[in-house]
Amino acid sequence: MTASPAISATGVARSFGDVHAVRDASFEAHYGQVTALIGPNGSGKTTLLLMLATLLKPDAGEIRIDGHDPVTDARAVRQVTGWMPDVLGSWGSLTVRQSIETTARLYELSPADARTRASELIDRIGLGALADQPSRVLSRGQKQKLSLARALVHRPRVLLLDEPASGLDPAARVDLRLLVRELAAEGTAVLLSSHVLAELDEMSDAAVYLDQGATASAESVDRAKASARRWRIRALDPTILADALTQAGRPATGTDHLGTLVDVTGEQDAAELLHALVTAGVAIAAYGPAVGDLEQTFLDLAKGGER
Amino acid sequence: MNPRLAVLGTIVQLELRQRIRSVSWVVLVSVVFVLVGAVTVLLWFALPAFGGDDAASAGTYSALIFFVLLVGSLVTPATSGAAINGDRDAGTLATTQVTLVTTTQLVLGKFLAAWTVALTFLAAALPAMLFTVVTGNVRPDTLAASLAVLVLLLGVVAAVGVGASALITRPLFSVVTTYLVVAALSVGTLIAFGLGSLAAQTTVSYTYTPIDYTASEIDPETGEYTTIVCGEAMEQTFEVPRTDAVWGFLAANPYVVLADASPPVWDRYGNPVDLFGTIAFGIRAAQQPPEPPEDYDECADARSGFTGQSFSPDDYESPREVYERSVPSWFVGLAIHLVLGASMLAAAIARTRTPAATLPRGSRVA
Repeated sequence: MTASPAISATGVARSFGDVHAVRDASFEAHYGQVTALIGPNGSGKTTLLLMLATLLKPDAGEIRIDGHDPVTDARAVRQVTGWMPDVLGSWGSLTVRQSIETTARLYELSPADARTRASELIDRIGLGALADQPSRVLSRGQKQKLSLARALVHRPRVLLLDEPASGLDPAARVDLRLLVRELAAEGTAVLLSSHVLAELDEMSDAAVYLDQGATASAESVDRAKASARRWRIRALDPTILADALTQAGRPATGTDHLGTLVDVTGEQDAAELLHALVTAGVAIAAYGPAVGDLEQTFLDLAKGGER
Repeated sequence: MNPRLAVLGTIVQLELRQRIRSVSWVVLVSVVFVLVGAVTVLLWFALPAFGGDDAASAGTYSALIFFVLLVGSLVTPATSGAAINGDRDAGTLATTQVTLVTTTQLVLGKFLAAWTVALTFLAAALPAMLFTVVTGNVRPDTLAASLAVLVLLLGVVAAVGVGASALITRPLFSVVTTYLVVAALSVGTLIAFGLGSLAAQTTVSYTYTPIDYTASEIDPETGEYTTIVCGEAMEQTFEVPRTDAVWGFLAANPYVVLADASPPVWDRYGNPVDLFGTIAFGIRAAQQPPEPPEDYDECADARSGFTGQSFSPDDYESPREVYERSVPSWFVGLAIHLVLGASMLAAAIARTRTPAATLPRGSRVA
């Protein structure tokens, strides 16, 4: 494993006519880590991934994938990069196995290696039952799996996944999460975008926030992370909880169908509050952040942007 | 195998599997096969009426070649005209482009596949062609030239289709554009030639000097003139189309290129017996400037003892003589086609190249 980052982007910008899809994106992603690319719809996630995948030329800025420039040395980048697009296309008249084999052949694998690799991936991704079906009969989730298998065919060290979980059922999402973690454990750098933040929370080591085409700076991310969070407390008796909170000088900021909400600043504060409540004799069934870490940071950043 | 060729081969195979390995395609090719068979049988019985069996085989063979060109240029725009933008719409272009395939390999692979598809119609017609070759007397040079030019012309249609599919965003418009290019070359050149030759008319005139029949006297015994009095000379003027000024339009016509490139078969009077000769003679004759009409002095003829318009058999030129003394134009026409096809492919490669700097308006890379 090299010490230099798997992906580094510096001041990357790309516009389509008057539309500035990506204005200023700078970040790094490392081998063996899963990096989440987070942003609302239209924030430029897909455009950024297209530039990383050697399909679009940036108007400005620099990109290095495994040390190679996608603009001047696209071939070297393609050799180490797997890309799974958000638009799902498949060769309708080819079977799942043929599709993977054909992709492998396009990565210059020999026919024998392509066959072996296709069988491996069909097992690993869980496409066994569909292997000899033409891909036009696949459901959206199944096409998603096929697309992932194709992205993995040449054992890429850098994996770019654009909305990999959309359309997947809960079981398939778990499979995807396990697979992504496995790949990271093998040393692959995974960059994946999504706007389903709870999902990213569970599998990512690092996050890049993209809003209106610009990545959030490290400082603003830290600031957002340090700001007050809502935690949710579920007690066996909500009235006793409410009293205990008032006594502790931390009145509830609201309640929802799941429990009572309270503002907490950081984990230290959370631990102290829990201790105070337990000491006061409140029977607590659940205690945790009301929204995911990524989501909260993302929302805080978005709020910061509006100010 | 060379990895670059292997990748190109994979693209061709992928295209063929995607586009033509279907039942409807088999049906289409079978229909052509049956149609060609029927045409062959009909021509076989019809043509001996105009000459020997050699004429029948040469005539049938040339008709088959033109038939394959017609069918090929009618179907190929549909199979090639959405090669690239169709993939872009289906979301399969970008996933191919992130592999180690170069843009050149991708475009050439699509072109080769489209060309192969066009040639399946030739394959469907091959049994019938073989029949005319084996049973009749098709000249080997005619066979070689016509097949080679036919294969190249179908390739040009495939190249134009693939090029249009890269340059135009919407598949429907690129297919239509390819059809329009084919129509411009096959029919448009004829219209341009027709209109051009009418526009480029020149005025010619001749004088006719009659005998003044009332003043002249004829010996009733012999029926010969005793006195010949000449009437007043009359000048007639009329317009003739100058096909020789505009025949160049026809040179770009694929059917003319095919006919002009294939050595024709003549009968013993120098008339063409196959379609190659008929069409080639047409364009070769169009190259000739119209001959100025000769003045006719009936009076002088009568005085010299000759009655009736002068005509010498030496003046008559057979089609074969016209053909042989005129310039072949097929290589110019073929060159125009090949340059068109090559530049469309080059444009397609330039337009499809990644990382893309500019995108066609309203399209996405993926």
